Amino acid sequence: MRARGLFPYVLILPAFAVVGFISFYPTLYSFFLSLHSFRRGQQTFVGLRNFEQILNSAGFYESLRLTLVYGLFFVSLTLLFAFLLALAFNRKLGYTGVFMTTIFIPWMLSEIVTGIIFRWLFLPGYGLLQELFSPLFGNITFLGHPQGAMGVVVGATIWRTLAFAMLLILAGLQTISSEVYEAAAIDGATGWQIFWYITWPLVRPTTLVVVLLLSLQAVNSTGLFLSITNGGPGRATEVLSVMMYREALVFFNFGYGAALAVVMFFVNAILAAVYLRTMRSEIVV
Amino acid sequence: MAVISTQAPSSVARLTLRQRSNVVLFLTLALVSLIVIFPVIYAIFTSFKPRGFGLARDLLAGGFYLGNYELLLSTPRFVRQIFNSFVMSFGGGVITTTAAAMAGYAFGRFSFRGRTVLLSILLAVMMLPGLTNLIPLYKIASDLGLRDTYLIMILVYAAYGIPFGTWVMVGFFRSIPTDLEEAAKVDGATPFQAFWLVVLPLAAPGLTAVFITNFVYNWNDFLAALVLLSSTAMKTAMVGLFDFQNQLTGNNNELLIAACVLIMLPGVVLFVLFRNAFLRGMLEGALKG
Repeated sequence: MRARGLFPYVLILPAFAVVGFISFYPTLYSFFLSLHSFRRGQQTFVGLRNFEQILNSAGFYESLRLTLVYGLFFVSLTLLFAFLLALAFNRKLGYTGVFMTTIFIPWMLSEIVTGIIFRWLFLPGYGLLQELFSPLFGNITFLGHPQGAMGVVVGATIWRTLAFAMLLILAGLQTISSEVYEAAAIDGATGWQIFWYITWPLVRPTTLVVVLLLSLQAVNSTGLFLSITNGGPGRATEVLSVMMYREALVFFNFGYGAALAVVMFFVNAILAAVYLRTMRSEIVV
Repeated sequence: MAVISTQAPSSVARLTLRQRSNVVLFLTLALVSLIVIFPVIYAIFTSFKPRGFGLARDLLAGGFYLGNYELLLSTPRFVRQIFNSFVMSFGGGVITTTAAAMAGYAFGRFSFRGRTVLLSILLAVMMLPGLTNLIPLYKIASDLGLRDTYLIMILVYAAYGIPFGTWVMVGFFRSIPTDLEEAAKVDGATPFQAFWLVVLPLAAPGLTAVFITNFVYNWNDFLAALVLLSSTAMKTAMVGLFDFQNQLTGNNNELLIAACVLIMLPGVVLFVLFRNAFLRGMLEGALKG
């Protein structure tokens, strides 16, 4: 329908008012905050000093490294398991709806509930998984061990995200018509050949989208870290988002925290730009 | 799995192989589902054990104890925080659904100047990271005296839900034919009346989907509530749970886990009841934006 004067603008006004106040304005304001220092209630302009401080602190690079390690393990393992599950669900065996619902339940738990359950499962003396898995890893106490604690958070993140990633890949697999597979089978292609020459090229774009979405999630993941390890032991799981939370909202270094937020904003913006480009160019839904 | 019997007899040998592999696959999926859901089931069983029971190697040991739930439901702080969660999630859902219905109608039905750009801007908000946004918002809300109020949380949840809700509603309104509005217009209805009285009732399934998914998302939110709420009386159940975990002393995990089970219920139940709305929403949100 054609525009009728101001009517459409009136309709979109509430949406833009709320989103403008809660999302746009604070994002712009974080750029302003990042150029200031807040000491004893005094706000002073410090230029780029907060950014200088970030780039000169060893803690930042260590957090960056931890974020990358966490992201690498979480994204690659989630992708692997999700792919296998999606291939299984795509066989359309029938009566698998209940399995689908079941594996989605972790996705419907909040980060904090997931975190508390995982922390409890790995508590020394009380945790079932601590008792079960510890002999396999040289009898360590997972939550007291730098890599062990990171492993628990990675495991919890995979557990919660697996079904979501699987669903996206499954949607990609279902766009491939069964005729393609039948033709290949008639030509005598083996299962592996079918996967490598037919399935993979056709789901590659969807997979790329999933990788980017999971990477975005990895960069911003905070709740699971706060509830399972709270950055510990020591600072062994203090990823960038946890560092940002602590600086801004525990130590109240707003300027420094906001500068970290600006850095994170650009990391996100780059990932999001790649994600949107991939969707535009590769996915035809 | 009975579909296979309709095939030609010449390929029986190959089909039985496929059939056998299907059985293996089916059992594998069953096993994987069981492993995935096990922590939840184990948590539910543990929540019915007396406090101080400790590591349960046997699911049924310790009997069927209701004391954890009784204690939680008679703790004013816990009930109050559940109530807070409900008010904020519900309020956020109402504003999200209303604003998304209006904006979705405008974007889905009318062509107006700036339409494409405005829609892209609104959808781009979905890519803004939560915590990055919450740090400046904490400062803004503090300066305006809005921190630790229902209002700020309802607005935050609405802002999180509106972009995606609008996108769902755009698709929904496009699937409803325009004839009805034309007829309403002929009968002398104003554009707003046509929208409110004719189109909106037809879009009820879309509105329900937007409301339910947003409600669950809000219910499960942890970070925004953690940052913006500070008093015990205003905190949501999720933040209360986090405090509870940090304050817990001694061997009282059973109580903490019982609280987890109660708090996870709304999300899980609504998901099971409205499964398709959730799954469709996830797909559209991720692959069609």
